[in-house]
Amino acid sequence: MGWRIGVDSGGTFTDVCLFSEDTGEMRIWKVPSTPDDPSRGIAEGVEQGLAQVGAIAADLSFFGHGTTVATNALIELRGARTGLIVTDGFRDLLEIGRQKRPSLYDMMADKPEPLVSRDLRREVPERLRSDGSVELPFDESAFREAIRKLKDDGVQSLAISFLYGFLNTTHETRARAIASEEMPDAFICASYEVAPEFREFERLSTTVVNAYLGPVMQRYIRRLSDRLTELGLTVTPQLTQSNGGVIGFAAAAALPVRTVLSGPSTGVVAAQAIGMSVGIPDVITFDVGGTSSDVALLKDGVCSLTGEADVQGYPIKAPMLDIHTVGAGGGSIAAVDSGGLLKVGPRSAGADPGPVCYGLGNEEPTVTDANVVLGTLNPGEILGGRMKLRRDLAEAAIARLADRLGLSTMETAQGIVSVLTANMAKAIRVISVQRGHDPRDYALMAFGGAGPLHAARLARELDMDKVIVPLTPGTLCATGLLLTDLRADFAVSRLLRLDESALPLLAEGYDELARQAADWSATEKIATEARALTRTVDMRYQGQNYELPVTLPEGPMTVGTLETMISRFEDEHAQRFGFTAPEAAIQIVTLRVEASGHVPKATFETQDDAGPDASVAVTGTREVWMPEASGFVTAETYDRGMLKPGNVIEGPAIIDQMDTTTVLLPEMRAIVHPSLTLILEVRT
Amino acid sequence: MTPIDPITVEVIGSALNSIVEEMGEALVRASHSTNIKERRDCSTALFDHRGNTLCQAEHIPMHLGSFIGIIPHIMARFSAETICPGDVFIGNDAYEGGATHLPDIVLAEPVFVDGRMVAWAVNTAHHSDFADRGHAHIYQEGLRIPPVRLYRAGELAEDIQSLILLNCQVPAERLSDLRAQMAANRLCVRRMQDLCAKYGTETVLGASDALQDYAERKMRAGIAAIPDGVYAFSDTFCSNEWTGEMTFVVEIAVRGDEMVLAFDGPPQVRAGLNMVYTSLLAATYYAVKAVVDPSILPNAGLARPLTITAPEGSILNCTHPAAVDGRIAASQRVCDVIMGALARAVPDRVAAAGNGCCTGAIFSGTGENGAIWVYLETIGGGGGARPGKDGLSGIHVHLTNTSNLPIEALELEYPLTLLRYELIDGSAGMGTYRGGQGLRRVYRAERECRLSIHGSRTGSVPWGLEGGEAARGTRLDLGDGRTRFDGMLDLVPGQIVTIETPGGGGHGPAAKRAPEALNRDLAEGRIDAGTYAEFSQTTEPV
Repeated sequence: MGWRIGVDSGGTFTDVCLFSEDTGEMRIWKVPSTPDDPSRGIAEGVEQGLAQVGAIAADLSFFGHGTTVATNALIELRGARTGLIVTDGFRDLLEIGRQKRPSLYDMMADKPEPLVSRDLRREVPERLRSDGSVELPFDESAFREAIRKLKDDGVQSLAISFLYGFLNTTHETRARAIASEEMPDAFICASYEVAPEFREFERLSTTVVNAYLGPVMQRYIRRLSDRLTELGLTVTPQLTQSNGGVIGFAAAAALPVRTVLSGPSTGVVAAQAIGMSVGIPDVITFDVGGTSSDVALLKDGVCSLTGEADVQGYPIKAPMLDIHTVGAGGGSIAAVDSGGLLKVGPRSAGADPGPVCYGLGNEEPTVTDANVVLGTLNPGEILGGRMKLRRDLAEAAIARLADRLGLSTMETAQGIVSVLTANMAKAIRVISVQRGHDPRDYALMAFGGAGPLHAARLARELDMDKVIVPLTPGTLCATGLLLTDLRADFAVSRLLRLDESALPLLAEGYDELARQAADWSATEKIATEARALTRTVDMRYQGQNYELPVTLPEGPMTVGTLETMISRFEDEHAQRFGFTAPEAAIQIVTLRVEASGHVPKATFETQDDAGPDASVAVTGTREVWMPEASGFVTAETYDRGMLKPGNVIEGPAIIDQMDTTTVLLPEMRAIVHPSLTLILEVRT
Repeated sequence: MTPIDPITVEVIGSALNSIVEEMGEALVRASHSTNIKERRDCSTALFDHRGNTLCQAEHIPMHLGSFIGIIPHIMARFSAETICPGDVFIGNDAYEGGATHLPDIVLAEPVFVDGRMVAWAVNTAHHSDFADRGHAHIYQEGLRIPPVRLYRAGELAEDIQSLILLNCQVPAERLSDLRAQMAANRLCVRRMQDLCAKYGTETVLGASDALQDYAERKMRAGIAAIPDGVYAFSDTFCSNEWTGEMTFVVEIAVRGDEMVLAFDGPPQVRAGLNMVYTSLLAATYYAVKAVVDPSILPNAGLARPLTITAPEGSILNCTHPAAVDGRIAASQRVCDVIMGALARAVPDRVAAAGNGCCTGAIFSGTGENGAIWVYLETIGGGGGARPGKDGLSGIHVHLTNTSNLPIEALELEYPLTLLRYELIDGSAGMGTYRGGQGLRRVYRAERECRLSIHGSRTGSVPWGLEGGEAARGTRLDLGDGRTRFDGMLDLVPGQIVTIETPGGGGHGPAAKRAPEALNRDLAEGRIDAGTYAEFSQTTEPV
């Protein structure tokens, strides 16, 4: 036994979370990030964190890591010089995409820059038909010549993507082998390995993103591994993927496209565990940062996966937690537009100069300024006293805005919060009502620096009657790294009509995926008893073009399996679209296997009930603006660190802690769970 | 009614926008025909109880016109007290139904709260049907449907539905798509009812009015920022469906915060190229909004400061029984003349001419099972070069923005093979900023089938601005030695057809193009060595 460690490396801070497998103790440590070489900050954070608990690297039994390296390389276009080889006639497909322009009315909007410039996109004669048969054989010598030219052009990475490459892999396999001979040092990937799925542009785009990020991730992982080895780490380090699971460093370096959303996914994993620990498995997460916010929905403790998303304008086909991001957060600027309405975001004051109340020169009011004026944020200081705030400056800035709106200063400050809340509610509607879920059946879990500040009003806007605030909302992602399993996804597209004739092909397809999963489990050294497989299938009515994922029952493929698939598909279709089409044929599109390796998790220690009296945690009172009362209301303020299990706080109240502030509205009460998680409820 | 504060208006505006977006997603995902599910040729909207557009999902600007007429037509035909909850009206006629061409079938359902009509849920979908028809007048173009009830108080009018389906070539697809349209409206009705329950019907209605006033204020603020004056422009319209060229003219008078747009064009023609007045409105709303302020909400308020005229009986404001199927082609040219005129007023905000087409290819035939199949696709082209930026390549411009169909889906569903799909080198207009490149699509028929092509810029070319060069126009190769045709083409198995769409015009003199940009054009093969030499300051690549 020993210590398990989670390290979340962000742009500003690197958070370290340590968990003792022997005592159940959990410790959190924060160090500044080192963006020029993130592995330095990580090594420092790990060393300091271990020193805090008197342990050494060799004591670590698990190392989980979340990083934004791949995401940032994509945002800042700092990937490798990449070459692309495609079927003759289609080198511009990468640039044409789906032929849509990026904005309907704004002529100045641009498409994302193609990740492979046109001179590095080469065509070779070869062509498959829609049934996978060969119309034109693969021209090996033309391919070899194209590779040599790309090599001369200084390409470090290569993507290969042929039409129907998912259906018949022989051309791509051969091409990949030749490319490895010709360019032994390059990063090479083919579409059948990265995203063996139907629809050529999305498959191509995913393969290219993977190639573009490959060398960057390989370099990063090599450097970090070296530092960790120097520290004396003996276990295989694991990296989070966009699906919320972790995977060994080597596997992550081969498929970097699967880690582009690793950042927010660990927060969702942590939320899942916290929800389960307080007995509330149906949760909508609400993670508010400075410039953007992420929301996700967990049903029965599970966040659904989406198979495709646009990341920075690049379509990516990879299993990703269904997380929706909006461009508004605590630092978002409020302004009146030319038609006289109040808008919040997408411009943000960032950390420097930051909100007006920081006194660093910004004069445009932000969401944070509105909260300072309203009294919801401590007008004196934040971060446990490390930063002083200037309420006078914030108030003057909001008064200027109020003049233009013809409202009072307080109404305007409240208005900024209301508009932000409306934007967030819209984001939550996307992941709930638009997917057939009623938010009223869910609890809202708030984290990130500004989540708990706005959660109560957002919950009210959506008629949700419960809000969960974790103990450490500011470092939840690092915690999440200690709560996740090893996980890899395997998929293959097979367009089949769903009837008995499909059974042998289905069985064959799943056997092949299971074999790939077994290979992976062996590589990751997952014990047999810790392995689990989930089979899903993407289905649609013949003629539709969007599939719905359906979980397959376990066991061999039989007529019974078919019947279960049909009834599950119909249920799903009815939930999403409100109707079924019994006369229509059903089609199978993609078979998927999710393989996981169970790892022991951190658990949340519970403490004994201390009774409802929370008076020891009271730090004083604060005048807080409540629109319901059209005026200031005196609210008691509490120190989160002093709250004990069983304590009950009646609203209105403000609960301060170092990394966030929780607002409790008049009609609500907060109860401290035995795990010290706060649960806010509407009083009935 | 008490005025609603600006914050509540913004909050309700967000909610209305969520509703129409959700309708759009539901429609696309539940539909069956490739034109809707994959190419997203559909739009969803909320109308207020008076029949004004309140909120539209951002899909296809042409559809701003495809349903603006429907509610007034319904109200004119049916007295308000006879309209019940659960009634669903269907219509597509350009003259009696409030649509702009027959394939755009509109479904409208009133939203009732406490027995009172508060809004309309409306959506339109382009049904890829009525193929292989004539276009001498509208009676040849398909079934004309005035607004009639497809559902009466929630009960399907099976006789109406049967009548419609019998007149369609691909009835199974039509049925599925109508069902998806129906589901989208039902969703909208429920969401609106929830919204009224939450905020109170009066507040929602007040906010609906305020949102239109808001769009009007933004439009006025934008127009007021344009220098007063009269700005005129003309352009040539031609099509492979009509012999000869036509001239479209606009004169735009900007006075304070109002704008008068007076159009002129030739008399309506015996071809499917005519525009009803609502098409002209849609084109004008789009182009003016794009130049004045792209962020103005697409609701009825934006039209209030605009006066739009064109001679009745002209191709730009046609009368019964003119054929209208390909009205998008002329509408795109209307956008071009508006842009050209406004470029004289605000040159820093207007791009050079884009491809100016909505090039269409409609294949139809009989499948192995004996059923008729119809496949429609539209092909983008170059976008015009912008002040300070090159134009975008391979996109749809102005009134349309439909996706392409994945090649792997196309070949699976239809007896066609796509041999090439690429940007055309040398098709863009050069300039300090280069236009976008047009698209080449090369098809091979695998079975006998029929093809009609809707092409424009067949004789004229997309113009440049501020000294930028013009782009190349449309080119066809029918695989039988012909490069021009005006009707239906019978394809034999193995026949290869090539469609090349125009590029976008350039912006600013090409001699001033930055050397590194010109070098990149050459290195990437977007221009040839001759063009490079012509515009390069040096004669050798650096």
